[in-house]
Amino acid sequence: MLLWQTSQTINFAQGEFVMLPAFFVLAAMKFGGLSFPMAMLAGFAVSLLVLGLLFKRLVVEPVIRHGVLPLVISTIALAILMKEGVKEFYAADAQPFPAAWATTNLQVAGMVVSVQNLVIIAVAALAVAALQYFLAGTRTGRSMQATAQNPALARVLGIPVGRMVLYTFLINAGLVALASFLVSPIYLAKFTNGETLGLVAFVAAIVGGFNQVRGAIAGGLLLGVVDNFVAAYLSAQYRAAIPLFLLIAVILLRPQGLLGRVEERTV
Amino acid sequence: METDILAVEDIVGGYGKQTVLNGTSFRVARGAITTVIGPNGAGKSTVFKAVFGLLRVQRGRVVFDGREVTNLDPRRLLELGISYVPQGRNVFPELTVLHNLELGATAAGRDANVAGRIESLMERFPMLRRKAGAQASTLSGGEQKLLEIARGLLLEPKLMLIDEPSIGLSPLLVKETFGILQDLRAKGVSILMVEQNAKRALEISDFGVVLELGRTRIEAAAGAILADPRVGQLFLGGHIAGS
Ligand SMILES: Nc1ncnc2c1ncn2[C@@H]1O[C@H](COP(=O)(O)OP(=O)(O)OP(=O)(O)O)[C@@H](O)[C@H]1O
Ligand SMILES: [Mg+2]
Repeated sequence: MLLWQTSQTINFAQGEFVMLPAFFVLAAMKFGGLSFPMAMLAGFAVSLLVLGLLFKRLVVEPVIRHGVLPLVISTIALAILMKEGVKEFYAADAQPFPAAWATTNLQVAGMVVSVQNLVIIAVAALAVAALQYFLAGTRTGRSMQATAQNPALARVLGIPVGRMVLYTFLINAGLVALASFLVSPIYLAKFTNGETLGLVAFVAAIVGGFNQVRGAIAGGLLLGVVDNFVAAYLSAQYRAAIPLFLLIAVILLRPQGLLGRVEERTV
Repeated sequence: METDILAVEDIVGGYGKQTVLNGTSFRVARGAITTVIGPNGAGKSTVFKAVFGLLRVQRGRVVFDGREVTNLDPRRLLELGISYVPQGRNVFPELTVLHNLELGATAAGRDANVAGRIESLMERFPMLRRKAGAQASTLSGGEQKLLEIARGLLLEPKLMLIDEPSIGLSPLLVKETFGILQDLRAKGVSILMVEQNAKRALEISDFGVVLELGRTRIEAAAGAILADPRVGQLFLGGHIAGS
């Protein structure tokens, strides 16, 4: 979301960004002969480089000069390129992705809880807490927020705007890689994963309020809870409709998002 | 030591193909308040942007405190002792008042006592302490301007550029804001401001500059400009004479 604010656009390839790091890891194991932990590290580093630095330098910066719409179109093209690239050069079918943790189930008060889900929730919560701490509790984090809220003013105060934007891209790439490693053991690594993930992330952002990190996260959590609830107690068939249903409800009832504020821009 | 803190010498600049500054020249005396007036679109804000490195100077020079600073980066100019409070609202709405203030010290050296300076600013402007934890978006227009001025003072600048400080403020707050600028002058800070409220501004100023179509038309003592009949007619629609 910070990325969206800083570059004033929406990355329509965000879903593919989550799909890709798992393939970096798989490729590092298959072609590089690395062990799984080493491959994860390598995949993380490559993600920072490709999805952070190169994405900023080669896609966003040259295109944003021509406006927001060209950038939106470029990210859509990038999404297709990444999807087709993985399909052509790696595999068209779903690939098993090892989990870095136990995959057993626990019995808690008569309910079956998978350790996997617990780990995902814990790691995600930890990452969110760390991000929140960094953004709100450190000088650099606040300089990043300032840059997102008003880059021209940030420049007037001597904040190194370019560096803050780079950090934003790197953090986005890091989070995306983390999400990829968490989700892929469950959904398997497949070139189409980005489509579903992108939709869910996009909807989560709108539900939570576009201009708020907290909002997007809250939106994501709400979506996850409702989604699983419906799958468990109603029918898995309705599951895919849930994000859209929530989206419509929120747009009708609270156009500014759950925690978002009405946008107020002054020059 | 030179008597002028800033000299703008024959500068040319603009936006894209449109030239706004057509050889603008004027001087800003050390330890004084100098006010730039002129009709809407004369290029007053543009001159400030050019001096502060936000707009490319295509020709001419800017000299600050005896050294040429033409087209230096804002960061570097902050370090040298210029701060700039732009026109309009300039706070980060979703950060607290304290954090907004702190960001004004981004360009401070490692050994600068930022906490001490914030403390003394809060001493001077109690509102800042009272609202330190509030989001900047909750401040009134006058409070935001005060926050912006205080933030501009964090680096203890030699010269402060301030663009239309009184816009949108009540008469009482205008008086208070101008009072702060007079205090600053008493402490030795040189001030260059742009003001719509020309009469009030010139009354507290030492010098005035009249800008029209990106050129300096008159440069004189503030009193002389206030008394100049051309000024009232040409640029202020009789505003000076009438009120
Ligand atoms: N960012 C910009 N891009 C293009 N043109 C601009 C920009 N900013 C100002 N201008 C143009 O430059 C000219 C001078 O503008 P400037 O803001 O310097 O005027 P000003 O004297 O400060 O007026 P005001 O009293 O309205 O603040 C105007 O014709 C304006 O339309
Ligand atoms: Mg102006």
